[in-house]
Amino acid sequence: MLIETKNLAHVYMPGTPFQVEALQGVSLEIERGEFVGIIGETGSGKSTFVQHLNGLLKPTSGEVLFDGHNIWTKANNMRKHRSRIALLFQFPEHQLFEETVFKDIAFGPRNLGLGGEELEKRVRYGLELMGLDFKLYKDRSPFNLSGGEKRRVAMAGILAMEPEVIILDEPTAGMDPSGRRQLLEQIKRLHSEQNLTVILVTHNMEDVSRLAGRLFVFSGGRLVLEGTPVDVFKSAETIKEIGLELPPLTELLQELKKSGKDISTDLFSVEDVGREILQLYREG
Amino acid sequence: MNNMIEVEKVTFEYPLSEDHTIKALENISLEINEGEYIALIGPNGSGKSTLARHLNAILLPTSGEVRVYGFPTNAEEYRWEIRRRVGMVFQNPDNQIVATTVEEDVAFGLENLGIETSVILERVNEALELVGLFQLRNHAPHLLSGGQKQRLAIAGVVAMRPRCLVLDEPTAMLDPRGRREVLETVKKMNRQEGITVVHITHFMEETLEAGRVVVMNRGNIIQNGSPEEIFNGKIDLHALGLEMPTVPKLVRMLRAGGLNIPENVVHVHELVSFLC
Repeated sequence: MLIETKNLAHVYMPGTPFQVEALQGVSLEIERGEFVGIIGETGSGKSTFVQHLNGLLKPTSGEVLFDGHNIWTKANNMRKHRSRIALLFQFPEHQLFEETVFKDIAFGPRNLGLGGEELEKRVRYGLELMGLDFKLYKDRSPFNLSGGEKRRVAMAGILAMEPEVIILDEPTAGMDPSGRRQLLEQIKRLHSEQNLTVILVTHNMEDVSRLAGRLFVFSGGRLVLEGTPVDVFKSAETIKEIGLELPPLTELLQELKKSGKDISTDLFSVEDVGREILQLYREG
Repeated sequence: MNNMIEVEKVTFEYPLSEDHTIKALENISLEINEGEYIALIGPNGSGKSTLARHLNAILLPTSGEVRVYGFPTNAEEYRWEIRRRVGMVFQNPDNQIVATTVEEDVAFGLENLGIETSVILERVNEALELVGLFQLRNHAPHLLSGGQKQRLAIAGVVAMRPRCLVLDEPTAMLDPRGRREVLETVKKMNRQEGITVVHITHFMEETLEAGRVVVMNRGNIIQNGSPEEIFNGKIDLHALGLEMPTVPKLVRMLRAGGLNIPENVVHVHELVSFLC
């Protein structure tokens, strides 16, 4: 097992009147090469949880294991750990700070002790994975790029560390539909071609149902549901109760099924759903 | 008067460096009628927010003119008249909160107008009722959920009794519940209170509530029509960096496959009742 949490709990500001139990009893496992989605309302504990995975937050109780080892033992090199499991915050473009795209992307690998040709190789690798041409971009100021480009440069900086796991917190927030589509396609390719383990935190049920193999659903600091998108969205009542929603196509298929139609509810793309409905009505 | 806002041949330029300027808006004209609900869409950098900021004189045209109820925005003496009539709500709710309780936050704008306390109270309560936050009036704003914060921002604007509400991606940072709350509040302001709405969004689904969709690209308005017209498949949305909302996309496929579904079916429940 690549990532495992055991009975993880986190309390913010313990022992003060402002004490908040942000996470309680979260136990889950993520295998190498998986693409998982994390969904839940604002304040449900999603972000607190993922910040435990790369050691930004220390559990109040419980354990985080990476490759079978507790990340909070003295033997663990936390800096190295954070380069293996990289976390991209929301609006990562706010964290760009260097004069050139090259320097910005090189910042992380340089801190890992890399230099010279190896460093350039890493920068090239990051840019290429994000579909940005090395020559065209390396000398530009990150501040003169478009919003979508900035975000991809920020992601390139993470990828240049050659992580094994990337955690993306709302990577498409504020992007236009085509920028969103492109970025999601790139993330999908990183998963399938580079065999990266991807953890996607999002409010977009439609995107996550199409991309993730498994979903973890958080509510009030607890893990309340987990399973394939099909299984998770079968618990439609729970999903709605905790403030989330079904992807529109799933809702449609479930409604049709409820009214007695013989239809599959495990389809997530417009093309598949369209074919299924057409077939049903041609036969009927 | 029918046209509450007239945008006439507006160009807006800003300097990029000493000898370069960028045209964020290029000779744009648009008429907004009293009581309309307009969705404004377009890729990042197409000029949507720049146009929105012209509607209440936050930005002034480099050339051309914007008139709100006939008042030109570039005449300084009308600026308050204009801003009282056209209120804005932005993307990030945390940047719009100024006071320590919900009630005081809504009162802030009114206090600045020097309105009598009793009238302020009445208007604050009315605005909080409208957005569904009356029960939370004594709460601290920073403890509200994202959706509640955005509704608070709307209440602050609505308390000024504007005739037009301009919302710049008000749901971009919200979870599904928050989005629903905000969309329902905006719809209510339009349908029940008759407030004109200009709603900028990247969520194509949200445009389906609008009477009219205005599409921008590279500082120009390139399409302007009902949601049915914009999403009927005749416009290449992909080339514009946009896409069809899910249900209309499915309906189009089903129609092409021989099912006789009306083009104006845009919501899941409508499609369900048609198919059952």
